[in-house]
Amino acid sequence: MSKIMTVDVLSSIKGAQPSEAVNKLFEVIKNANTTNNNTFNHHNNAVSLNDLRDDVVIDSSATEKQIIIENFPKEKNGYLVVSKVIEE
Amino acid sequence: MNKEITCTALVQEKLDLLKQNTNNTVNALLDTMALDLAAKVDAKIANGEPIGLLEGIPFGIKDVYMVQGTYTTASSELLKNYKSAYTATAIQKLLDAGAIPLVKENCDSFGHGSSSENTIFGAVKNAINPDLVGGGSSGGSAVNVAKDYTVFSIGGDTGGSVRQPAGYNNVYGLKPTYGRISRYGLMAYASSTDCVGPIAKSIEDIRIVLNVMSGKDIKDQTSYASAEITQDAILTSDSIKTVGYFKNFIESDAIDAEVKSDFLATIENIKAKGIEVKALDFFESETLVSTYYTLAMAETASNLSRLDGTNYGNRIEADNLKETYAVTRSENFSEETKRRIVGGNQVLSQGFSDEIYLKGLALRDSIANNFENDFNEVDIIISPVTPSTPPKIGDSLKDPHAMYLSDAYTVGFSLGQLPTLTVPQGTATGLQITAAKNNDELVLKFANFLKDTI
Repeated sequence: MSKIMTVDVLSSIKGAQPSEAVNKLFEVIKNANTTNNNTFNHHNNAVSLNDLRDDVVIDSSATEKQIIIENFPKEKNGYLVVSKVIEE
Repeated sequence: MNKEITCTALVQEKLDLLKQNTNNTVNALLDTMALDLAAKVDAKIANGEPIGLLEGIPFGIKDVYMVQGTYTTASSELLKNYKSAYTATAIQKLLDAGAIPLVKENCDSFGHGSSSENTIFGAVKNAINPDLVGGGSSGGSAVNVAKDYTVFSIGGDTGGSVRQPAGYNNVYGLKPTYGRISRYGLMAYASSTDCVGPIAKSIEDIRIVLNVMSGKDIKDQTSYASAEITQDAILTSDSIKTVGYFKNFIESDAIDAEVKSDFLATIENIKAKGIEVKALDFFESETLVSTYYTLAMAETASNLSRLDGTNYGNRIEADNLKETYAVTRSENFSEETKRRIVGGNQVLSQGFSDEIYLKGLALRDSIANNFENDFNEVDIIISPVTPSTPPKIGDSLKDPHAMYLSDAYTVGFSLGQLPTLTVPQGTATGLQITAAKNNDELVLKFANFLKDTI
């Protein structure tokens, strides 16, 4: 992919620009000395594969489903309305 | 329990206080639910049924936790009408133990802030001096506890959001070991450091609430099983022989002179009790803050990408789908939230990720290694909570970088996923007590020791 995406597009935030306050933080990281360059050593935060939950579908309660529908932003004639998608 | 006051009267009294309060701690009152639950507790007492330790105890909930049927806004415009479809595991455990939720509490939007000013509900005012900030991001929770509007409150701590407001309002606030309490139903900010944390006025209350909320939950694969911390286990601190502190925290130019002298006086008090105190080397504040924020922004950019107004939230329609996303997010996120999302997407984008994100992860690793080595040398590490006293309302928003740096003493322990407790002693904004991972019990032990020592 050679297409360059700007941060406003990546963030879906209109007119977004990198901020000076945040760039200062990045400068510190760029200039920091790390004693180890091996990112993923024993302090990684991955979850053990030996202890995963059962791969079963658990149905939500009727109340939960009802609230999820209530939260939907737009409804018309009993249908939930989403934005029009335009193919690019 | 003495029956001089009914549970209903107690709950009503607290609800009235919360309703009238001028510190802006309340996003929503849960009055109907609270009074219904209180009536049930009163009926149990009247029938002579036994009641549990937390039964009938009124508590507050930071407005980032799901409680089925209640509004969960994260103090944001985007979710101001969002209703929780389910209940967070930690909160459900408290409900099962009979505790009564009174209020969804004001905080920085999505946890983005250190002052509880980044909120659509008005800046939280400090419990001690209302001209000052309440701290953040769990500011409403700490102020409610300090003002006795709630007996305890449940905050969320990603980089200091329980410990710092606890310090600013002179109460106890615990960030447990990462994973000790399930994060299921806590709105995600930075998932690798997000922790559920209790705020209360005593170590005993912290212990009880921590025990109830702890435990493995299949809905949060990073949670783990832990043993109950008994009352007796934390009464004596004989096992604590050596305490460390980070000398660069204290020698920094940024530390307030009084915080520094009070901290050093505490060190002398501890030495006088026969405990060895060691000065330890640690990373510079700037490195800690930059590492934390770099990783937290990357995680929050990812976590908040789901908030586009499609399935829930305050959708603002535009010409097409992508425009709808962009307008919805631009209009509904606060400036600070946008700053963090944009920073996070910078970090994760091609060309930047190796130089910044991966290096940030490597630094985090070095920080964790450093802690591991330290805890071979010392049992406990103590530190001030903040370099300075709480700022005036309005001051923090002017300089985001200065606000990030004010988290210098809390973020390191978050990156290390360590148990850390703020106690309202030692400096104007308290002290942090930290132990090795999974050693929350030792933290509470040392807190009891300090309570009797200084």
